[in-house]
Order: sequence, then C-alpha cells, then structure tokens
Amino acid sequence: MEITVDRRESVTVLSISGSVDGLTSADLSTAFRQEAAAGHARLIADFARVDYTSSAGLRALLETVKEARRQGGDLRLASVRPDVLRVLELSGFTGILKLFPDVASAAASFAG
Amino acid sequence: MPENLARVRDFVDERCRAAGSDPQACFDMKLAVDEACTNIVVHGYPEGARGRMAVAFGCDGDRMTVTIRDGGRRFDPESIAAPDLESALDDREPGGLGWHLIRASVDEFRYESDIAGNRLTLVKSARVPGKR
Repeated sequence: MEITVDRRESVTVLSISGSVDGLTSADLSTAFRQEAAAGHARLIADFARVDYTSSAGLRALLETVKEARRQGGDLRLASVRPDVLRVLELSGFTGILKLFPDVASAAASFAG
Repeated sequence: MPENLARVRDFVDERCRAAGSDPQACFDMKLAVDEACTNIVVHGYPEGARGRMAVAFGCDGDRMTVTIRDGGRRFDPESIAAPDLESALDDREPGGLGWHLIRASVDEFRYESDIAGNRLTLVKSARVPGKR
C-alpha cells in the first residue's frame, strides 16, 4: 500500500493505492493522524486505487472521521471501487461516511 | 506474521478462481479468511511471538471450503458481540467488525478447538445468486 498526501488550499487529499489490511492499516492511521494533528481536518481519501480493505482499514477510517469532525472538519471518500464499497456497506459505514464519485466533487462538497 | 496476510489472500483468490468462483464469492471468501487470519495474528499469539497457521482450500461442486488451523489461544466466536451498525458515529466502537464481516461473507462457519489446536471452517457457495 502507498499513500501520497496532497495539501491543497482548503482540503488535504490522501491518495491511497493497494490493499488495506491488518499490516498496512497502521500506515494509513499514521498518515491520517499526522494530518489531523497538523490541523488539516478537511480530509479526502482518494480510494480510486484501493482494491481491498478489511475491517482494519475501516478502523483507521472510523478513528479519523471522529477526529476530523471533532475539529470541525470531516473525512470524505472519493472513487470507492465496488469491492471496497461492499465492505463499507456490510459494516454500516455508508451511513457514517460521505462518499463521492471523484476527488473534485468531494473537494467541492467542503466548499458548500 | 501480519506480512503473510497478503499471501493468504492471494492463495484464496487463486484457488477460488481456479474453482470457477464468481468474483463476488471469491472476494467474500478472501475477506472472511483475511479477517479470521488477522484475528489469529492479533489475538491468538502473544505480540511478537512466532506462531503457526495453516490454510487449506477445498471445493466440492459449487461448495468452497477453507479450513484455517492454528495453535494459538482458543477463541469463542459466540463471545463476540455483533456491532450495532445503526449507531451514531460517536457510539461506533472499532471492535467486533472482523467477526461481523466473517458472518456476513460466508454461508456457514464452524469453530472447533481441541488438544490439537483450533480449526475454523468457512463454507461459501462459488455462485452468488442474482449478484453481479
């Protein structure tokens, strides 16, 4: 799994690629935590290149969205693939997280 | 040992495909096996300890079976409370999701434990009716 961080004027986009599992989710949590600690609470996770997540990835998303909202921001997901969407749905996460078809629409949602 | 999770997923993926499994049934089985193996790695053995885990795949007609054996701490799946999927964000707890996903992904599961170790059997139809 690889993560690239793009700090834009109003949002921070974390582009993730590969599989998020019990091994790699620690890196994802760390990346999210660093952004939140730096006061970047408007976060977008670009999942276009994430082909798999287990509950370990969901835990990273859950702790991040809680922290981001505590700071008045949010964590929003973009370009979630069908297999990953299925895991989110089975876990009831689609009722917690806001999902967008792409990064541009996720970024625009913060402006509104 | 967490490094082996990707290897286990690749193994299950390859065997499911070879068995002619639907993509969704294949993904679901892979997810269930990954969650079960993660539980063994995280909870079955003391942190940093080396432990053994054996994963076997079988297929009888459309019925795919994965058996996971380990010699770690025994574990009662019934003791894991189902997460409340409807609860508000602040009430959502991070635990319990792994077993919830196992239950949701396979058709049957069986956990047995004896002097030889623990054995989890996961059963899933290779065909998911009406899906994809």
